[in-house]
Amino acid sequence: MIDQLPEGKSIGWMQAPPQWIFTHTVRFIGVVRVVIQDGEGFILIKKGKPLMYFFKHGRIELRGHAALDYFNSHPTIEFNLCKYTPEEFAQALKICEVEENLPGTTVMQEPAPVAPAQEDVAQEPAVEVQEISTDEHFPTELPETPEPEREIPVAPVPTKPMAAVPAKPKVTVTERVFVPQPAVLEDPDIKIIGQIKKLNGIVAISVFNDDQNILLMGDVEIEPLLKIARTMLATTNKITPLLYWGSFVHMTLQIPEGNVIIAPYHENHLCILTTRTINIGHIRRILRDLQQDRSQGIRL
Amino acid sequence: MLKQILNKFLILNDVQAAIVIEENGEIIQSMKSGIVINEELRDVIATIMLDSKKTAAQFGNASLSMVFVEFSDYFLILGPVMEEFYLVIIAKNTANIGQITYEMKKNQDAIVSLL
Repeated sequence: MIDQLPEGKSIGWMQAPPQWIFTHTVRFIGVVRVVIQDGEGFILIKKGKPLMYFFKHGRIELRGHAALDYFNSHPTIEFNLCKYTPEEFAQALKICEVEENLPGTTVMQEPAPVAPAQEDVAQEPAVEVQEISTDEHFPTELPETPEPEREIPVAPVPTKPMAAVPAKPKVTVTERVFVPQPAVLEDPDIKIIGQIKKLNGIVAISVFNDDQNILLMGDVEIEPLLKIARTMLATTNKITPLLYWGSFVHMTLQIPEGNVIIAPYHENHLCILTTRTINIGHIRRILRDLQQDRSQGIRL
Repeated sequence: MLKQILNKFLILNDVQAAIVIEENGEIIQSMKSGIVINEELRDVIATIMLDSKKTAAQFGNASLSMVFVEFSDYFLILGPVMEEFYLVIIAKNTANIGQITYEMKKNQDAIVSLL
């Protein structure tokens, strides 16, 4: 099935928690190609609404929420956002045998989707549920009026080794409930980060804050890189109050193997890992431009 | 002699200071123009030196080649010249970084020979 899907226009590979995909694709129409170890899968998305989950590893095929549960069993997954044209999207719907809801029937406008309980629900829209036992039968249609006043429990992230993936994993509903996260990055942000990643000599780029890595593009282990980035950030936090040199633009640490650059990015920070041969002047201009845009109040 | 070498940096466009400093914060020699090297600036340089050395060590004990900290008005480039001695250049953001780093590399041996 994956091979039949239209290619789409790749925005870039990244690593992030599965929930990130749903909270950051409110204006995205296309396919999210997921790679986990030797298996691959996809999530067909229309403006934050997942229409189809699929994952295949060897002979094992997971569809619907079995696939979603598997994605959710990983703290972070590696994926490629591929935008579709309306024609490509229509073709993908046909291949996935997904019938879109008619205009006006889609209830869930929030980007944070939640999984229904049925195992094979490829054509189902996401349903917001809470504290419901797995034995309950869930409606295949969304409730017309969601209940926003409900408190949504935090979704635990189960850990499940690849080898232990059952064809029909046992699932509890609370495990499928996502906490809506503030949309810290939007489509244009992802595009900009993707463009920076594509520059010659950029090994990896991460958007991070004090608590977590928000986005990673590039083939690196995020934790050691984040540790270094946070150490550098601590240094800049120590020195900035002592200087009257204007706002902080970036700090670049050069070692024989390459450069690590940290820079503010909206309310978060960028960490860029580059080769030694990178044109620092080019990166510097980009970072300055990003900050100027920010100071002018332009959301990138 | 060291002053003469540091002066080569100071004549570059928009360079405000060239300093040879020891890791403990002691300034060995400095040349400056339109900038005051006060206690706070010394603290800043010392913090960057020590923290960056430690951070570089997190990359499998990599040695530090250079640190570049930029603000909207000024930037600072710090490069080790030999063990525990660093060359620090402070410049306006309109200065030519390529030219500065080139001069830093070019004059490193000469500085080492004088320390």
